[in-house]
Amino acid sequence: MEQYRAHLMICAGTGCVASGSLKVRDALDVEIRKRGLEKEVKVVLTGCNGFCAKGPIIAVHPGEIFYQVVKPEDVPLLVEEHFIKGRPVEKLMYKMPADKKAIPVMNEIPFFKHQVLRVLRNKGMIDPDSIEEYIARDGYQAAAKALLEMSQQEIIDTVKGSGIRGRGGAGFPTGLKWEFTSKSAADQKYLLCNGDEGDPGAFMDRSVMEADPHSVIEGMVIGSKAIGATKGYIYVRAEYPLAVERLKKAIKDANEAGLLGRNILDSGYDFELDVYLGAGAFVCGEETALMRSIEGQRGMPRPRPPFPAHKGLWDKPTVLNNVETFAQIAPIILNGADWYKSLGTEKSTGTKVFALTGAITNVGLVEVPMGIPLRTIIYDIGGGISKKGKKFKAVQMGGPSGGCIPEHLLDTPVDFDSINATGAIMGSGGMVVMDEDNCMVSLAKFFLGFTADESCGKCPPCRVGTRVMLDTLIDITEGRGKPGDVETLLDLCEDIKATSLCGLGQTAPNPVLTTIKYFREEYESHIHDKWCKTGVCRDLASFEIDAAICTGCGVCARACPQKAITGEKKQPHKIIQELCIQCRTCYDRCKFGSIKIGPGLKFAKAGATNAAVADATAVGGPAAVADATAVGNRGEK
Amino acid sequence: MTENGLKILVVDDESIVIRSCEIVLKGAGYHMEGALGGREAILKMEKERYDLVFTDLKMPEVDGITLIRWLRNSRPDTGIVILTGYPSQDTIKEALGLGIIDYVPKPFTPAVLLDVTRRAVQWLETRKPGAFAISAEMSSPAEPVRDDFPPAMAAELDKVIAHYKHIPGSLIPVLQRAQEMIGWLPVAALKRVSKGMNIPAAEVHSVVSFYSFFTMKPRGDHNIRVCLGTACYVKRAEEILRNLKEGLGIGVGEVTPDRKFSLEEVRCLGACGLAPVVVVDHDTFGGIDPKNSMEIVEKYR
Repeated sequence: MEQYRAHLMICAGTGCVASGSLKVRDALDVEIRKRGLEKEVKVVLTGCNGFCAKGPIIAVHPGEIFYQVVKPEDVPLLVEEHFIKGRPVEKLMYKMPADKKAIPVMNEIPFFKHQVLRVLRNKGMIDPDSIEEYIARDGYQAAAKALLEMSQQEIIDTVKGSGIRGRGGAGFPTGLKWEFTSKSAADQKYLLCNGDEGDPGAFMDRSVMEADPHSVIEGMVIGSKAIGATKGYIYVRAEYPLAVERLKKAIKDANEAGLLGRNILDSGYDFELDVYLGAGAFVCGEETALMRSIEGQRGMPRPRPPFPAHKGLWDKPTVLNNVETFAQIAPIILNGADWYKSLGTEKSTGTKVFALTGAITNVGLVEVPMGIPLRTIIYDIGGGISKKGKKFKAVQMGGPSGGCIPEHLLDTPVDFDSINATGAIMGSGGMVVMDEDNCMVSLAKFFLGFTADESCGKCPPCRVGTRVMLDTLIDITEGRGKPGDVETLLDLCEDIKATSLCGLGQTAPNPVLTTIKYFREEYESHIHDKWCKTGVCRDLASFEIDAAICTGCGVCARACPQKAITGEKKQPHKIIQELCIQCRTCYDRCKFGSIKIGPGLKFAKAGATNAAVADATAVGGPAAVADATAVGNRGEK
Repeated sequence: MTENGLKILVVDDESIVIRSCEIVLKGAGYHMEGALGGREAILKMEKERYDLVFTDLKMPEVDGITLIRWLRNSRPDTGIVILTGYPSQDTIKEALGLGIIDYVPKPFTPAVLLDVTRRAVQWLETRKPGAFAISAEMSSPAEPVRDDFPPAMAAELDKVIAHYKHIPGSLIPVLQRAQEMIGWLPVAALKRVSKGMNIPAAEVHSVVSFYSFFTMKPRGDHNIRVCLGTACYVKRAEEILRNLKEGLGIGVGEVTPDRKFSLEEVRCLGACGLAPVVVVDHDTFGGIDPKNSMEIVEKYR
C-alpha cells in the first residue's frame, strides 16, 4: 500500500457538493500535480462531515486541521502554505464568533466538541465507495463475530441488553422486535431497512447512507442472522439519488468480498440484499405501508395485528428497522451491551443523531448522548440563533408528527420519554429551530398542509380530519378565523389521534396541539385582532416605520418591490399603505428595527383595533399607537 | 416528389449505405439526400432544412452522437433515426436521452428501412399535424400511431418489461424506468406496461396516481423543484415558490408554453443545511434569497 504524507479529506456530502466541493477537488488535483506532490498528498472525497453550514469543508490528517468555506481560488495558497511550507492557513479556519480567534483542530471547535460519534463513527474519515477503508476501521468485524462466534439468541440478547430503541421515531426496543420475529416459524423471513426519510427537516439517514453505506449493510447482516432472514431490502427515497448509488456500489462490493450473499464468510448463512427505490409517498415510512410498496402496490397501511413479526412482506415474518438503528448494531456487537449503555439515560441508551436546521448558526448533523439538555444542542453546539438580535422562539422536533418546544422547556433532556412529555416526539431527529420572526399558526398550517396532502386516504379520520383542520388554519391565517376555532381544533385533534389507522393520522395533530399549548395567544391574536405579530400572514399584518428609530438610511426604500416607501435621505421614511403588499422585505432589511408590524388593515374596524392599540403600546411605543389609531380610522371610512 | 415537402438526409461514412438508402427511399417516393459523415451533414443542414435525419453513430471526425447533440440544439424540430451496427444498451440509451425517434440495426433490409421511415414520419406528423402531406402508399395501411412516445422507446420499454415481468412486486421499478426514459408517463406507456406485465390498467394507474414521483404530464426541458421541507419553509421557501410561479407564469405541476420549464414542489430534499433549496434538473441551489428566485431560472434560458 502506498504511503502518503498527508490525507486531504474533502466533504462530498450533498450540502458541500452544492456549495462547490467538487470544484475545489478539481482545483486541488491540478495544484497538487503542478507542485509535484501527488505521491505525498492524497485527496479523498468523503461522506457528509456534518458541519454543512460551513461547506465546502476540508479536513487534513494528520493533525485534524479543519478548513471551512474553501473556494477553488483558495487552493494555491492552501497547498503552498500547508503542504510546502508546513504552515496551516489561518484564513480558512473556523473562527470563534465572540473573539474571532481561529481554531485549527476540528475537535476543539464547539460544534464538534460536545459530540460523541457512534453512528457517524466513520464520517469524514473514509471514502464511502471503498469497502477496504471501511474494513480498515474495524468494518465487518462485528458481522464476522456474530456469524461465526455468536448464536442467534446471543445476538438478540446483546441487542436487547444494550437497550437500543428504534431510531425511526416511535422508539420500540429493537432487540424485542428481533426476538418476536426470530420466534415466528416460516419458510422465508425478510429484513427491511427504512431509508424513506420523509420527515422534512431530517437528513441524518441520508448522510449515513451516503457517508458510510457499509455500516448499514453490516448491521443488516447481523440482524438477518438474529431473525433468520435470508432476503432483505433497503427502501430508499428516489429523492436521494446519491444514497442509492453508494448503497448499490457497497452491496456489490460486499457481495464480491463474500460479506453478503451466499454462505457469508463460510458461516453457512445466506443473506441477499437489494435496494428498492421509493416513489415519493410520506406514508411509506409506516411499516405496513412500506411493505405494500415493496409488493408493488399503493403504499397504504393496514390494521395491526397481525404484526409484521408474524405477517409482513408477502405475508412472511418481517422486521423493519431504521437506517440509524442498523448503523448502531455493529459497534454494539463488537463492544457489548454495557459499553452501549454507558451513554444515555436509563430508558434511552446510547447516542442519537440530530439534523440541526432553521434559524440556527451552525446548521448540520450532530450526534450526542441521549439525555443531554436541548439547550446544550442549540446553544453550545448549534451556536444559537443565526440572526443578530433575534430571540429563540421554539424548536420543532419530529417533523409533521412532532411538535414545537418553547423556550421555557429548553432544559428538557433529550430522551424518548422526556420529549414525548412536552407533546413533541423524538421522531427521526429533525430539529428545526425558529426565531421570533416565525409565526406558529402558519407553521401549524404548514405541517397540516403536509399531512393532509400525504394522507393516503384509507381511513376517514385522517383523510377528512386533517383536511378540516387545515381549512380552519387557513381561515385563521387569512383573517376568517372566528371565536371558538381553537376549541374546534382541539376537539378535532383528540378525535383524529384516537381513531386514525396508522401513525401518520395518530400524530398529525401534534403540531397543532403543541402550538396551541405553548403559543395560544398567537392563535387568539390572529382570530380576534386579525393581527399576525410576526408579519408572516400577509393578510393579518401592516407595516409602519417608527419615526423615532428610523435613521433614513434608505435600505428599505431601495428593497421595496412596490416602491411604497418614501422619504428624504437621513430623514424618517414612510410607507404608503395603499401601495404596500405586506411582503415583509423592509422588515427583514432594516438593521435598526424601525419597522413595526401592526394588525391587518383589511379587517381593521374601530372596535377590533382597541385591543391591538393596547398591545401596540407595549410593542412599539407611542409612535406605533398613533399609527395603529390611524389604521383604525382609515378602516372606518 | 417534393410536393409533400418532407426531406430526408442520410448520414453515413460509407457511400454504399447512402446509395442503398437512395434506391429504397427514392423508390418509395421520398425526397432524400445523402451526406458522407457528420461534418458534411452539418454543412448541408446549415444551408437547407431537412425534416428527418438518418445517421450512423460511428463516424470519423464528427460522430453520430455529436451530430445528434448539434441537431438538438440547432434544429430541434428535426426528427432523428439512428443507423447502427452496434446497438449496445449504452449507445441506444444515450441516444434515447437525446430524443431520437427510432433506430435501424445494420445490416437492414429494404422492408425494415421503409417500415422505420413510415413510423418516423407518422411520429413527426403527430408532433406537427398537417405539416406533411403523406401520400397513401407512404403511410402505413394498417394501424394508426397511438403511442405517445417514439417507437425506439417502446422497444426499450418492452425490454424492461421482459426483464421484470417474472419478479413479483416489480411494477414500481418498471414505471420508474419508463419515466426515466420518456421523461413522464403517457397513457400509452401505462397501457403498454399493463399489457406487458399482465396487471390491470386500473391498478397501474392507481399506483401511478398514488406516488408523487410519477407524473402523467410532460415536464419541461428543465424541471424546477422547490423544496418545501420545514427548514426551507422557515427560511421562506413559500415566497420563492410564489416568485417562480409569477415569474414563469405557471402553477405547480405545469409547464411553460414553450416547454422550456416545469415547476414542482418537493417535500424535503434532505439538504436542509442549504435551506432554502431549489433544484433545477440535477443542480442544487442553496441559500436563495426569495427576491432572486428568477435569477436561477434565467441561467437555463
